[in-house]
Amino acid sequence: MRRRRLTNGELNEAAKHYDGPYRSYDIVKEVSVATGVVMLIAVILTILFSSPDLPPSTISSWSRTMPIDFVTTAVSELDGTSETATYGPPYNHQSGSVQQIWFINLQKWLGVSHPINAPYDFVIQPLRMIPGDPALQREVSAYKRAPAKAQNAWTTAYTNALAKAKASAGALRVPPGNYGPVAPMMSALLALAQSGGLDGDLLTSSQFYQTDFTKPLMFIEDGNALNDRATYQHLQGEQWGMMNETGSYPGQVWLWLYTFWYQVSPISTSSNVDALVMAIMGVLSACFILIPFLPGIRSIPRRIPVYKLIWRDWYAAAGAAVEPPPSSPGSAPT
Amino acid sequence: MGGNVEEALVASLINLNHPAHYVSWHFFQMSVPNMVVIVLMFVVFGAALFLRAPGARKRGGPK
Amino acid sequence: MSSWTAKLREAGVRALPPEKLLPDSQPAYMTSAIYLFGALTIGALVTIIASGSILALKGPTWWHVQSIGHFFNSIHLWSVELFFFFMVVHLWGKFWMAAWRGGRARVWMTGAVTFLVAVPCAFTGYISQQNFDSQWIATQGKDGMNSLGVGAFFNVLNFGQMYSYHILLLPIAVVALVSLHILLVRNHGIVPPLPFSDSVPGAESKP
Repeated sequence: MRRRRLTNGELNEAAKHYDGPYRSYDIVKEVSVATGVVMLIAVILTILFSSPDLPPSTISSWSRTMPIDFVTTAVSELDGTSETATYGPPYNHQSGSVQQIWFINLQKWLGVSHPINAPYDFVIQPLRMIPGDPALQREVSAYKRAPAKAQNAWTTAYTNALAKAKASAGALRVPPGNYGPVAPMMSALLALAQSGGLDGDLLTSSQFYQTDFTKPLMFIEDGNALNDRATYQHLQGEQWGMMNETGSYPGQVWLWLYTFWYQVSPISTSSNVDALVMAIMGVLSACFILIPFLPGIRSIPRRIPVYKLIWRDWYAAAGAAVEPPPSSPGSAPT
Repeated sequence: MGGNVEEALVASLINLNHPAHYVSWHFFQMSVPNMVVIVLMFVVFGAALFLRAPGARKRGGPK
Repeated sequence: MSSWTAKLREAGVRALPPEKLLPDSQPAYMTSAIYLFGALTIGALVTIIASGSILALKGPTWWHVQSIGHFFNSIHLWSVELFFFFMVVHLWGKFWMAAWRGGRARVWMTGAVTFLVAVPCAFTGYISQQNFDSQWIATQGKDGMNSLGVGAFFNVLNFGQMYSYHILLLPIAVVALVSLHILLVRNHGIVPPLPFSDSVPGAESKP
């Protein structure tokens, strides 16, 4: 006997109505019991494992434990070579971290909405706020008045010297050299940072009540304080870090497909990696929503009959080899 | 600061505040806790396919 | 002139008469334990909102300085893990049932969108922790947001903004989507079983 596959239209029509038997069921009790069970499981997991809470890095703690790294970062902010200084929108008009897909450059089109002037915001302005130090203020003014070529020579020499610097109990010893006003500026900035003053300055620079931590976080991220801790906790991109939690806690397992693309060349090695991953996940998310309309995908449940397990009692009660009339409502198989 | 794990001062029966173990295979890398969650999801799904809901009779078909 | 109120009421009662909105019976084919996972997902969402509300009562710093606060933070974290766990098992079950059949495409779609909105809701929560984990997630996440220009109006480094999204805007969206999803399920009924056999006697016809 010839057979033909049921069409999607026939399956949809059959599933519109159900005229078969019902049994007694308490929906309110089911949801109440389910909620109680989940609450109990959550409390048990809490008692067993608690939750992680690693203290945040601060500019103060960073500058005290990693003074060479702090000062190296501060010099890169001053001479405009740091990641923040060269980032691009939404912070400034550079292009170091600007990403695009084909001709679509949303990052650039949406512009600079959160301006950061790295040399001024991270170095000059905080130093200007230090009271009772006219010598320091003269050094800052001397730096600002100097031509760009001189500024660049000082910062480059100081950066090279930092590679040979020594740190002891938070204090820094840099080999002697011609650094102009940069050396005293950095010493003062290091002292300000270690006292905790720079954390406060960067947070409240525009107004007292503030919840926007962009400046202090961008500054810390430009160094290695966060980076070193993240590598230790396996939170880096190439460590599938997006899915991970600190310590031995389960993380955000549902992000597995987001982080997957960061491991796959040529996406992972592209300078537009973030934009590409977001675009791919946007497309896949749309496909996920539209599964009912995607030929092939929507037929997988028919081709791999997991449904025969789910409804095995139903099929057994009705007799397994049932041939439903193709166009009748999806009533109980006879 | 780079390598030390600060202790969370909270009582819990099992201390998870230490670096996780990882399983690796080529470029695939997963923490053991995440693997446990994923494996548990497949196990629970599989069990749900075979088990019946509480109160459901075996004869779930038409009368 | 007919009343908006009356029209709304009549449309509501037509779509969801009381016996459909709160039925006390279910189709006899619903025997599998897989059918429990929608309710378990709702239970997890209730636990998230309850524990989150307690955390919100005391403010975002409480859990760092009081062990009872840490206790409720832990419940909140584990209930989020359970929410995604049960939701994914629920969606696997619904996929293998092809539960979008019979005009139920919107049920599937609202469920899928709920999952996709829950992801940024959790993301803003991780960013609102005010600890090292939140610092790292925010400083890394900003690159993804900035790459598509989203960083121009959604600043993951702005704690106040992220906290507002997390405790108000995104939970409202999740609850609204879950409510719509459930009302659509009640309106359409639970999808009947697929025919046991994928084919019927007869010649092949064009789909």
